[in-house]
Amino acid sequence: MSVVTVQLGQCGNQVGHQLFDVICSDAHEAQRIYSCSSCERFFYRSRQGELVARAVMIDMEAKVINQSLTKAAKSGRWKYGDTSYFSQKQGSGNNWANGYCVHGPRHREVVEELVRREVERCDRLAGLMAMMSVAGGTGSGVGTYVTQCLRDIYPKSFILNHLTWPYGTGEVIVQNYNSVLTLAHLYQLSDAILVHENDTVHRICSQLLNIKHISFSDVNTVIAQQLGSVLQPALTADSHGVYSRNPLGELVSALACHPEYKLLSVSSIPQMPSSSIAYSTFSWPGLLKHLRQMLISNAKMEEGIDWQVRPLAGSERTRSLTGPSFNTSLANLLILRGKDVYSAETGSFEDPALYTSWLSSGEAFTLWKSPVPFNKYEKSATLVSNSQALLKPLDNMVGKAWNMFASRAYIHQYIKFGISEEDFLDSFTSLEQVISSYSQLC
Amino acid sequence: MQRGKAAVSVEVKQVIAALCKLLAATGLHAVPAPETFRRAKFGGEVEVEDQLWQLLTDIFHTTSSVSSAASTQLKEASEHRKLVAAGLWQSGYHADWMYVREGGEGAEEGGCSSRDLLLALGWLLAMGTLEKLLTQRVQQLDRTLLTPTPVDPHISHEVQLDSASLRRLQWLIGCLRHQGRTMLSMQEERAGLLHALFSASLPSSASSSSDQSSAVLREDCARMRELCDLLEAYLNWKQVEKVFWTWMDSVVDCHLKEPVVGRPTHRANRKAAVCHHGNRGLERLEDMLLTLPTLQKGQRRGRRDAEDRGERGAYRARLHTERPVRQPRRGRGSGRAVGFSGCTDASSHRGQAAGEEGQAETG
Repeated sequence: MSVVTVQLGQCGNQVGHQLFDVICSDAHEAQRIYSCSSCERFFYRSRQGELVARAVMIDMEAKVINQSLTKAAKSGRWKYGDTSYFSQKQGSGNNWANGYCVHGPRHREVVEELVRREVERCDRLAGLMAMMSVAGGTGSGVGTYVTQCLRDIYPKSFILNHLTWPYGTGEVIVQNYNSVLTLAHLYQLSDAILVHENDTVHRICSQLLNIKHISFSDVNTVIAQQLGSVLQPALTADSHGVYSRNPLGELVSALACHPEYKLLSVSSIPQMPSSSIAYSTFSWPGLLKHLRQMLISNAKMEEGIDWQVRPLAGSERTRSLTGPSFNTSLANLLILRGKDVYSAETGSFEDPALYTSWLSSGEAFTLWKSPVPFNKYEKSATLVSNSQALLKPLDNMVGKAWNMFASRAYIHQYIKFGISEEDFLDSFTSLEQVISSYSQLC
Repeated sequence: MQRGKAAVSVEVKQVIAALCKLLAATGLHAVPAPETFRRAKFGGEVEVEDQLWQLLTDIFHTTSSVSSAASTQLKEASEHRKLVAAGLWQSGYHADWMYVREGGEGAEEGGCSSRDLLLALGWLLAMGTLEKLLTQRVQQLDRTLLTPTPVDPHISHEVQLDSASLRRLQWLIGCLRHQGRTMLSMQEERAGLLHALFSASLPSSASSSSDQSSAVLREDCARMRELCDLLEAYLNWKQVEKVFWTWMDSVVDCHLKEPVVGRPTHRANRKAAVCHHGNRGLERLEDMLLTLPTLQKGQRRGRRDAEDRGERGAYRARLHTERPVRQPRRGRGSGRAVGFSGCTDASSHRGQAAGEEGQAETG
């Protein structure tokens, strides 16, 4: 079972490259079965015996793609397919409408052909993963358009979108417009939307990893490591003692079965500078206790967890007094990797108080395990959560976009490419629905 | 007009031939010639009847849908008939001839005509027996199929329509959809691998060195061919099925117009929708009632026969009206339960009636 990755735009191509690098070096150091399983998912072997990523790179500018191509080739361990990329000379100008209405349709055939070639190379397609940011023009606009095409061509395949959300104090003035349009469209197309917020990852870099001058590359590495710990082989309930062959399908089935709830967030523990790892000891109870508190208090880092937040007893919940600080989950997927993984006690994540009342904790909680340590940590835990964690940033994003829309700021830039005010309103409406669904999760 | 009729009858014959071909393709042995069907419509001879008995027995035997001890020992013709009667009863069909007891009044004449059996066959076809036979045969022939393990879906009848259970339901539906997709991709992979396997083993089978694999392959090919024939026969039947049912209608018309002679007359006016499942009990009751007046006659000599007969008639009328109507589409068990409760009701009525009679007696 293989995953075909579609990297879109500057951000998607950088994060994607980083992800393949993380996966390849992780698989390289591990034992054979794990390594083979990982490679089958993300790579194929060329006739010369090189590992080639099952990926398609798409951007409207050639710069980032060329960088990724060179870096991958330089690593000596893996490379991108010689012809599996597509680039143009002129970008989308940070305009979603330009990407969605102009660039996307114009290059549809080429892109579809590239993806089809990768899909046909797989014995069995586990699913498609589209990686992009929501702020710019190419990743968000072309990305949305390409996702739509993929949904048309592969109606029965799992499609996961990995999105990078921009810094709140943005890089691009119209980033909230782009985000709203992307999210609203993807919500109808994608099976699950996995989100990394730049702000959160930036804080992890500065506070946990002690990086002084944080670059995009540092941020992308953290994202790639978290993604890798989710997507690398693991033993699941359905896999009967061997590494699961259906990573995307099982991920989506565990977390996003309800059409109104598709937003997934990731948190992992431990995260520390590699120089400190040697001096640290980890225990499963300690890691899981922290991770659980991170979940319910909606902290993305171990640093600054609010230990006061507690799940309320059943009788209190009915009075809807769930404090605003308590993060209710719809479903959680816990992935444990490392030593003594079978002795880890995960009962605290099965507490019904963590979940919405209409889904039993048995249905809402899924556990994957792998005895192979990931990313130099002797023991590590990653939690993918479909919870209220993204409610606040989403609400902020939609709020800011709405304020701009109310004064019709920059709207003409979108109208000129064929996105009407009506389209904007539709997108706002559908995201308000998402916000309301997640708010009522209790 | 006459020509048209002839054309129609030719067409009907072809349609029935298509049905016979399909039945034979599903692995039944005792499939009669199309002509048998036509003769059965007009209440054909013993020979026709025998062929239909065999066909019905074969169907029940093949689908093994009769959960009766009788299905294991099929030595005598009467056992066959028991099996067929039980099978029809379990499929929800009921006709008077099915209830004729051995040595009873009807048994001497065979109890039923070939038209009755034809109607019973029509019922079975309409109830999806063909599809059952087809599925069974396809599973036998196509070894590459993933046969689903039968699951007993436990559906609670207390569906709550609050928002929480609706959301839960939506989640479960989504879950099911995802599992369906996963299964589909598994089957695609399996098909791909099978294809690779077959195309790899085909050239080698041409050489004499791998006799064993070529023998296996030949068997596989034969089975595949049989499977194709079967599916094609089903397709052909599906296209002309309508004609058959129109013809079957005419059989029913025939049946209603000219009831077969020699049947017990008191049963002739029963409605088809009446439940006969509990009739063993009811019949025993009726018998008791029949003997009752004689006993009473023995007890009280001065009474006139006509009065007795009148009373007897009244009781029977009452029994008829009290007889429970079988509810359609009910489970077998519950149907039987209804029948039995009907019996107890009837007996209590009978008790009452007897009491009343006793009072009338004294008065």
